[in-house]
Amino acid sequence: MKTQTGTIALPAGRWPSFARWKKRGVQTMIFVAPFVLYGIFLLCYGVNPVDLYVSMVKSAFGDLYGFGEVLLKATPFVLTGLAAALPAKAGLVNVGGEGQLAIGALFATWFAVFYLNAMPAWLGIPLMLIAGALGGALWAGLVAVLKVKGRLNETITSVLLNYVATFTVGFFVHGMLKDPDSFNWPFSPEISSSLRLPIVDGTRLHIGFVVALVLAALVWFVLAKTRLGFRIRVLGSNRLAAERAGFNINKMYFWVLISAGMLAGIAGMIEIAGIEGRLRASTGANFGYLGFLAAMMAWNHPLRLIVTAFLLGMISVAGNTLEIGSGLPSSSVNILMALVLFFILGGRRWSR
Amino acid sequence: MILADILTGAIRSGTSVMLASQGELVSERAGVINLGTEGSMLGGALGGFAVTVWTGNPWLGALAGGLCGLLIASIHAFLVLSCGANQLATGLTIMFFGMGVTAFFGRGFVSEQIVGFNPVALPFLSDIPFLGPVLFNHDPLTYLSILLVPLLWFVIFRTRIGIMLRTAGEREEVLFASGINPKLVRYLAVLAGGFLAGIGGAQLSIAYTHAWVENMTAGRGVVAVALVIFASWKPARAMLGAYLFGAAQALQLTVQQQGYAISPFFLFMVPYLLTLLALLIVERRKSSRTPEALGKVFAGEGSG
Amino acid sequence: MKMKRRASSVLLGALALIMLITGCSQPGSNSASSPSGGSSETSSASADASMGTGGSAVGFIFVGTKDDYGYNQAAYLGSVAVEEAYPDLKVLRAENVPETAEAERVMEQMIKDGAKIIFPTSYGHLEPALNVAKRHPDVVFFHQGGLKTATNVGTYFGTIWEPVYLAGVAAGKMSKTGKLGYIVSVPIPQVLLNVNAFTLGARSVNPDATTSVVFTGSWCDPGQQANATNSLIDGGVDVLSLHQDCMKTVIETAERRGVMTVGYHADASSLAPNGWITGSLWNWPELFVEMVKTAQDGQFKGSKFDGKYRGTLADNVVQLGSFGANVPADVVQYVEDQKKALLEGTLLPFAGPVKDQSGGVRIAEGETPAVEQLEGSDYLVEGVIGSIPK
Repeated sequence: MKTQTGTIALPAGRWPSFARWKKRGVQTMIFVAPFVLYGIFLLCYGVNPVDLYVSMVKSAFGDLYGFGEVLLKATPFVLTGLAAALPAKAGLVNVGGEGQLAIGALFATWFAVFYLNAMPAWLGIPLMLIAGALGGALWAGLVAVLKVKGRLNETITSVLLNYVATFTVGFFVHGMLKDPDSFNWPFSPEISSSLRLPIVDGTRLHIGFVVALVLAALVWFVLAKTRLGFRIRVLGSNRLAAERAGFNINKMYFWVLISAGMLAGIAGMIEIAGIEGRLRASTGANFGYLGFLAAMMAWNHPLRLIVTAFLLGMISVAGNTLEIGSGLPSSSVNILMALVLFFILGGRRWSR
Repeated sequence: MILADILTGAIRSGTSVMLASQGELVSERAGVINLGTEGSMLGGALGGFAVTVWTGNPWLGALAGGLCGLLIASIHAFLVLSCGANQLATGLTIMFFGMGVTAFFGRGFVSEQIVGFNPVALPFLSDIPFLGPVLFNHDPLTYLSILLVPLLWFVIFRTRIGIMLRTAGEREEVLFASGINPKLVRYLAVLAGGFLAGIGGAQLSIAYTHAWVENMTAGRGVVAVALVIFASWKPARAMLGAYLFGAAQALQLTVQQQGYAISPFFLFMVPYLLTLLALLIVERRKSSRTPEALGKVFAGEGSG
Repeated sequence: MKMKRRASSVLLGALALIMLITGCSQPGSNSASSPSGGSSETSSASADASMGTGGSAVGFIFVGTKDDYGYNQAAYLGSVAVEEAYPDLKVLRAENVPETAEAERVMEQMIKDGAKIIFPTSYGHLEPALNVAKRHPDVVFFHQGGLKTATNVGTYFGTIWEPVYLAGVAAGKMSKTGKLGYIVSVPIPQVLLNVNAFTLGARSVNPDATTSVVFTGSWCDPGQQANATNSLIDGGVDVLSLHQDCMKTVIETAERRGVMTVGYHADASSLAPNGWITGSLWNWPELFVEMVKTAQDGQFKGSKFDGKYRGTLADNVVQLGSFGANVPADVVQYVEDQKKALLEGTLLPFAGPVKDQSGGVRIAEGETPAVEQLEGSDYLVEGVIGSIPK
């Protein structure tokens, strides 16, 4: 570990060193600055930022419904965030969570509608989950194969495939997966109620959130406490060392991407079984990118990701409030999110 | 006739992508990849459109568009070059930022009308059978973009500036040794890339569609970045790639019009799949030609 | 070992959470009411009378931006009329509300902010609206374009195919090549219906007229629109119409290339001084004001809006736009005569026989299709060039 300058000589072990406070201070500043900047931006439009931030917190913690809404929003962010964070630990930049979620949702709906309709919940839901994971894994598999066999950069391929995924879903909801009772409007039939995830009374929150938490814990555990995780982290921080140590890099890249795809695919399944009930062309739009954002904000740490996903959920929900209350478009919260990310990306050097 | 239509469509539709590609090419030659090109394009599209609305002069608009694209790219340059941030992640953030900022500030412009660029048929040249209407009936920015290609080629491969640019991307130590700061060269390269991407966006809004709608670039910036790799960082190849993408877009329309029973959704995918395919084909022979600094980025060693 | 303890405690915690949540929960429910428009079980007589009343606000949700010179702008103008007619009511608006469960959150927020009347203005907002309506039986929902209703959810729309048919007649008269073009987004029933109406209208004056339909995949992508416009014109089309949320690019590009245009949603004649023929318009303002009044007076139940209300040309809910400067007087007269016949009921745009592209009969001779049948169109009529995914 690098020694920090400016360490005050205090009784050892009694006080945290000045350097640590400085680091915490900088980290806090990095976190707070974008909100301040955004606040100034809002002021220019006659919106009181303090009011907004307060209402943001209030609507999140004020009542059960609001809290549920934030958790609801955060759930896919956690999973797509994991889909970005896990490969990031291996040194890959996977932005394909968007498409992987969509294809996962597609597979989950397909299975639900055609095969799992009559099944009881205890069997149908796990099967649907597997279908979703399979779909996401398949889509990520494309990125993986293109990387490993084609040596194509995964960032570019995953973004391009996101577009292809949207059209693929469009193709199916206009065709084979179109609801015969929908008067020809393009969305899938509703999945049977036995396949819907249980929800908490008084909210729209479903246990998908718990699934997300468990998976986040699982990913953290694997990365932090297992030998496999150790190797992944070595690969991510120093590819050369990994090569020298004889790791099978391609195999690791492949399986990491597949796992990421599974996570995003599960997010897709949860969206359908938990909240939407049917597949539409626009299902899950932007969840992948926001999850990526959450992962970046959490420095790709799976447990911290839960917090940042929650935060993003809060901001996202606040966007609606902002718009209805002030007339500013809800897209303006994208500016806030981008600012947060700028500071994080730019501030790394000073918070080490 | 169909072929002529597709070729014309390729140029019409591909110009904005081509401009962005040329810009990204400059940036990547110096060793910086900017996925935020999409953000720069959007900034250019909005900035260009807005200034054209305000001043009534599309040339001023085009210039303003370039400057907006440059401004957005400057954030990328700052974060990557001065703060050491990861290039790919930063680029993506810039993309979202561009999308958010332009959506926000562009609201009032959606219903505005402009006096934009219109296609200008060049005398004599446009009367040449087949090639005439295909090549010589476009808006001024398109003509300029075509002229840009040999110009860029010349600058990159035949001038001192070009050598500095390429050296920054290949062997920055050499630049240090000659007393030139490679970081400065990279900064300028990224800014130039943003400027051209901004012009590309402006071409889309001021010349091609005469409209502004949020997210109107619809992924062209991302495709532009992919095409640069496809082009092995050569201007002429990048132009080809961009027109290929444009042709795919035009093709799907022609196929629809002919009444073939192919799902439009499949046709929408074609341009993107084609880009992937093109990348794949080129990848075989490419690795030796990657600017070295860029190679490090792809290998996951992050920033420049 | 510390590792194992941590792991097991994490798992135990998760398990506990799962048990807690499933314990406090009910199985997830299906959202939709039955397709034929049945009612929810929770209504009572007093709820019926009071629903829609007593609110301090009216909510409007739009799927796009209000400045799109098209669909959303038309709805926005309706909301402005409500604002002006009811100065005591706060008008809440949300744009760019996606057609997913997200819309539920926005509507819930508006209800929290005091709205007892909500206007979800895009087709895809129907399911979310039905869900929210179940939770708030005291709120009245006026959904635009939907085909399912509930006790407190009524749907409204306009028989826009009537003016579109008339516009098709005008186009058929004006076209010299007999080739018409239609730029649309995705093959949903409302779109196919318009294309069909337009084509039938054109072919009533020119039996050989064809309509080339092009799908762009998006409701407003200017780049794609420009591509499509150019492509159609290159293919010989001399009259263009469209079904998009935003119109500017298509109309202006066509004007520049000397091609005539027929508009939709809004009057864009100023964009095409030479080529504008006519257009089909929505006239929501008066309708919205009337709907709000009905709801506020507690009159929703049993009113004409409690169900599937379809405003017609006769009701002035849909209108035929003004004719362009270059449309000759005899054409204007002919179309006006056709319009009169339509209003009188002697002209029925979709009177059988109507055949689809493969020649099969979709509407038999002598048959007049019901609104629902038309609004569920899944085919293109003879004379349309283009295919829809199956």
